[in-house]
Amino acid sequence: MNQPISSPYSDKDLAVMDSIVKRYPRTRSAIMPLLHYLQSIEGYVTETGIETIAQILSLESAEVNAVATFYTQYKRKPVGQYHVGICTNTLCAVMGGDAIYQSVLEHLGIENDGVTDDGKVSVEHIECNAACDYAPVVMANWEFYDNQNVESAKDLVDSMRQGNPPPPTRGPDRLVTWKEASAVLAGINDGLAHQGVQAGDPTLLGLKIAKNSKGGE
Amino acid sequence: MSIQEIKNQEITSSQGADSAIEMITIIVDGFEVSVPKGTLVIRAAEKLGIQIPRFCDHPLLDPVGACRQCLVDIEINGRKFPKPQASCTIPVEPGMVVNTQLTSPVAEKAQKGVMELLLINHPLDCPVCDKGGECPLQNQAMSNGGGESRYEGVKRTFEKPINISSQVLLDRERCILCARCTRFSEQIAGDPFITLNERGALQQVGIYEKEPFQSYFSGNTVQICPVGALTGASYRFRARPFDLVSTPSACEHCASGCDMRVDVRRGKTLRRLAGDDSTVNEEWSCDKGRWAFKYEHRDRLTSPLIRNESGELVEASWPEALAHAAHGLSINRAAVLVGGRSTIEDAYGYSKFARIALNTNDIDFRSRTSSDEERNFLAALLLGKSVTYLDIDKADQVILLGFEPEEESPIIFLRIFKQVRKRGLKVSALAPFTSRGNEKLKATVIKNVGNEVEDISKFALTNRSVILVGERLAEVSGALTAALKLAEQSGAKLAWIPRRAGERGALEAGAIGNLLPGARQVADPKARQDIERAWGSGPLPTQTGLSTDQILDALHKGEIEALLVGGVDPGDISASAIDGLRKAFVVSLEIRNSAMSEVADVVLPVAAVVEKSGSFLDWQGRARKFEAAVTNSLHRSDVRILSILADEIGRPINLGTVEKAAKELASFGDGSSDQKSALASLSADQAKIKEPGKNQAILTSWRLLLDNGSLQEHEPNLAGTAHPCVAVISDDRANRLGVVDGDLIKISNSNGEIILPLQIGDIDPRAIWIPRNSENSRPLLALKSATHSLVSVVKA
Ligand code: SF4
Ligand code: SF4
Ligand code: FES
Ligand code: FES
Repeated sequence: MNQPISSPYSDKDLAVMDSIVKRYPRTRSAIMPLLHYLQSIEGYVTETGIETIAQILSLESAEVNAVATFYTQYKRKPVGQYHVGICTNTLCAVMGGDAIYQSVLEHLGIENDGVTDDGKVSVEHIECNAACDYAPVVMANWEFYDNQNVESAKDLVDSMRQGNPPPPTRGPDRLVTWKEASAVLAGINDGLAHQGVQAGDPTLLGLKIAKNSKGGE
Repeated sequence: MSIQEIKNQEITSSQGADSAIEMITIIVDGFEVSVPKGTLVIRAAEKLGIQIPRFCDHPLLDPVGACRQCLVDIEINGRKFPKPQASCTIPVEPGMVVNTQLTSPVAEKAQKGVMELLLINHPLDCPVCDKGGECPLQNQAMSNGGGESRYEGVKRTFEKPINISSQVLLDRERCILCARCTRFSEQIAGDPFITLNERGALQQVGIYEKEPFQSYFSGNTVQICPVGALTGASYRFRARPFDLVSTPSACEHCASGCDMRVDVRRGKTLRRLAGDDSTVNEEWSCDKGRWAFKYEHRDRLTSPLIRNESGELVEASWPEALAHAAHGLSINRAAVLVGGRSTIEDAYGYSKFARIALNTNDIDFRSRTSSDEERNFLAALLLGKSVTYLDIDKADQVILLGFEPEEESPIIFLRIFKQVRKRGLKVSALAPFTSRGNEKLKATVIKNVGNEVEDISKFALTNRSVILVGERLAEVSGALTAALKLAEQSGAKLAWIPRRAGERGALEAGAIGNLLPGARQVADPKARQDIERAWGSGPLPTQTGLSTDQILDALHKGEIEALLVGGVDPGDISASAIDGLRKAFVVSLEIRNSAMSEVADVVLPVAAVVEKSGSFLDWQGRARKFEAAVTNSLHRSDVRILSILADEIGRPINLGTVEKAAKELASFGDGSSDQKSALASLSADQAKIKEPGKNQAILTSWRLLLDNGSLQEHEPNLAGTAHPCVAVISDDRANRLGVVDGDLIKISNSNGEIILPLQIGDIDPRAIWIPRNSENSRPLLALKSATHSLVSVVKA
C-alpha cells in the first residue's frame, strides 16, 4: 500500500533513509545501514525506529527486530557519547586487556554495558578486533586506541568525560561522537576517511620481513 | 471434459516431457541410487531407506543447515571433503560417494557430537513435555546419540512458557534453533511474525513484542517443531501421545479438502493434526481445521425432541419422534434444506428422500445467500469438472472472483502463495479492497464495486490461466455468467470454490432443485429415467424444484407447510428466514442445540463428523473418505436416520448404511451431457447500484476464517487469533468524516445499524467493507443485506 510513512522522523531524515534504500537492488538489504542511520539520529535503536524501517521496507517489525538483536553493534538502549569497547579476547586479555576492563569499570563506577551518569561514556567488553598486533587495544566509537595500559585507558575515559578526548592512534584526526560514527556506518561520508595511519608498522612488520628475506626462507 | 480441455492437458503434459529430468547417480553406503538433479543428499539416502538423523530439514521448507545433525562423509570423484557435511543442504553431484553414520565412523562420531551439544542446554523434561513419546529429539537421541552426556554444568534456563499468540506457547529452553517454525511462517504462510532473535547462547525464537503470532496457520509450527518447544494452548498437558488413538479423517470446516488426523482418547477428540496429502494440503492445515472441534462435545443433542401441546420441546423416544416427523412431513406439502456441511452420503440421503419420500424436487443445499443464476451456473459447471490444485501450480495467472482465499479456503491461499513466492505467479482479484491476503499474494486488485460484470469481461487470459470463483460471486447478478463466458472464450480453467465442506458433494448428490444425482438435469426425461431405473421407483417429480429463497418465500405464503432441515442456521440465509420456519412443521436433523431448536417441531440428533464415516468432496470434486474416529458413539449419520424416517412414511429409500449410500451414488457415474440446456438458462445483466451520496457507501462483506461460526464455539484460544473485526473505509472517507484508524463508525440503513472501529484501507472509495459473521458485525441480520446495497456511514 502506498500509505505515507507515519513516523516522528523529520522529512530530511526520511529522505536520507529513502536514498539509503535506493542504493540496493533488493530493498531488504537496506536494513543494516538504516539501523545504523537510526543510531545516528537517536543514539540507539528504538521501537519507533524498528517499526519505521519495517514500514519503509514493507517488512514485519519482527524481521527488523531479528536483525537488530542479532548484531551487538546495534544498541537497544542508550550508550554514551563515547562508547568504549575494551578487547578481552585472548591476546589482548593476556597483554592486559582483562585488567584494563576491570579497572575502567571500577574507575567509572559502572557495569558492563553501563553508561556514566553524565551520559558521556559507556563501556562494553568486545571480542577480537583484528588489532592483536597492537594489543591490548581499546576502541572508542569503533576507532582504535592502541597499546593501552590501565592508566592510559583511565586517562582516556576521563578525557572523554571532560569532552576533549585525544585523537585515535589510527584513524581520523579527531574522535567523532557515537552518533557521527553511526552515520558513517550507514554509508554517509564524513570526509575523514583519508586521515590518519591505515596500516601501522606492527601490521606491516611481517610483510617487511618476508620481503627482506631472500628466497622466502 | 471438453475437447479443448483435453487438448490443453496434452499440451501441458508434453511440455513437461520436453524438459526431461536429468538423473544423477551417486553411491550411498555402498549402494547406487539415481535421483533427479538438484536432489539433496539426505533425500537420495531416503530413497535407499537410509535414514540420516535430522531436525531442521523439512522437505517443504528451503534448506537451511541450522542444526548440523545430518553430517555425513562425502567425496566427489575421489576428492574427499575435509570435514563431514550437512546432507540436507548439499545437492547430489555426479561421482559423489556418501558415507553416512552406518558406514563412516567419522560421520557417526560427528552426529553423536552434535547431539551431545544440542542436549547441553536441553532440559530433558520429557516426562512433562507434550512431545514426549513422539519427539524427534527423544527418538534420535536414542538412535543416534551418545547415551551419556559429559556436560556437568548448569543448563541455561528461560522464563517459561511464553505465549507467542493466544494459541501457541513457547518453552525456549527446549528449542534447538532449527528454524523450522520461522521458515514455515515466512516461506509457507507469508506471516513472518516469529523470528530468531538475539545471538549465541541467548539466541531464541520470538515475536516482536507488540505483534503476536497472528497467523491463520500457526498450528503447523507446533506440528513441525521437532521438540516440545512450541505447544498448542488447548492441548498442552492434556494427553500422552501413546494414549491416543489416531484415525485418518477429513476436515469439515471448508472446501479446501484437508487430510486430517484425529487423535481420540476415550471417546473424545483431544487434538487434530494435518495429514500428509501432497496433492491437496501437502502437510499443512489452517488453525480452524486444527483447533475448532470442541463443538463435538458441547451442547450436544442426546435424544430426540418433540414440541408438545404447550409449545415446549421435550425429550421423546425415537419411535415416537419418528412417527411424529413422518406424519407431519407426509400430510403437508414439504421441502428440504440441507446445510453446507453434509457428507456426500448424507446429502445423497436428503436428495433421495426429497424425491421419493416427499415426492418433490424442492430441495437446496445452499443455506446461504444464493441466486437462480448460480443454480444454473453450477449445473453448467459440473460439465467441465477438472480443475485441481495442480492447475494452480502450473497456471500462468490466477484470477480471484468473489473469493478471498485466505479467509474462505486457506489451503488454496497457501498453494497460490507458494507459486507467487517460487515463480512470481501473477494474481489478480476483483474485490472491494486490498486485503492482507491479497497483499501477500501481490495481487493486482481491481476495486470497482458494482461494475463486476464489465470488469470480468476485460481480463486477458490464456488456456493456462485459472479462474477461481467464490460462492459470493453469486451475489452479483450476471457475474457468474460473465465468468463462465470468460473461461469459454479464453480456454482458461474455471473452478467454483464453495466456502463449506459439503456443498460440492451436495451438488453432485443432487441436493438441489434442478439436478438429480450425478449431475443429471431434472428437466431431462432421459436423466430421470436413469434414476428411476436405478432406484426402482415410480416416476420422479418432473418439475424443477424451488431454490432456497423460493422455499422460504413459499413458507411465508403458506404454500409449503412442512420442512425437513439438516444442519441449517436460518441466520445464514436471511434475517426473516426464521419467521418463515416458524409457520411450518419443521423436522430438524442436528448435532447440537441450535437456532433451529426454536422453531423445530421434531429434532432428531445425528452424528458429528468424528462419530461417523463418510466423505467430503473438496472444491476440486475430489472425495476424501473417512471412518469414524469415535467408534462407540450412539449417534447415527443423517442418511441412516433419513432411511428410517422414509420407512416410517412408507416410501423407503433403502439407505441403511453410509456404505450403501456411497455405493449407490457411485453407481450413477457422471450423467452430465446436456450442456446446452444448462447454459441456455444462464443470462443476467448486472443490476445497477445507485451512486452513493455524501454519507453513503456501498456495503461489501465476507466471512473471516475465524468468526462467529457455530463450529468454532468454545474455542477461546483460537478466537484470540481472529482478524480484527473492523470496518474498512478509504482515506478520503475518513478525512471527510474526520475520523482516524480505530475510531467508531456507524453503518446503517432502514433495517438497523452496526457500529465498528474503522481501519483505513486501499478500498474502492465508494465502498465500505465489514466482516459478515463476526461479533458485532452480522450485516445479514442487522441490515438485512450483506453486500452491494447502499448504507449510510457516519461517525458513531
Ligand atoms: S521452536 Fe521448535 S521449530 Fe522453532 S526453532 Fe525451536 S525447535 Fe525449531
Ligand atoms: S483449510 Fe479448510 S479443510 Fe483445511 S484445515 Fe482449514 S478449514 Fe479445514
Ligand atoms: S585479541 Fe584484542 S584485537 Fe585481537
Ligand atoms: S538436518 Fe541438516 S543441518 Fe539440520
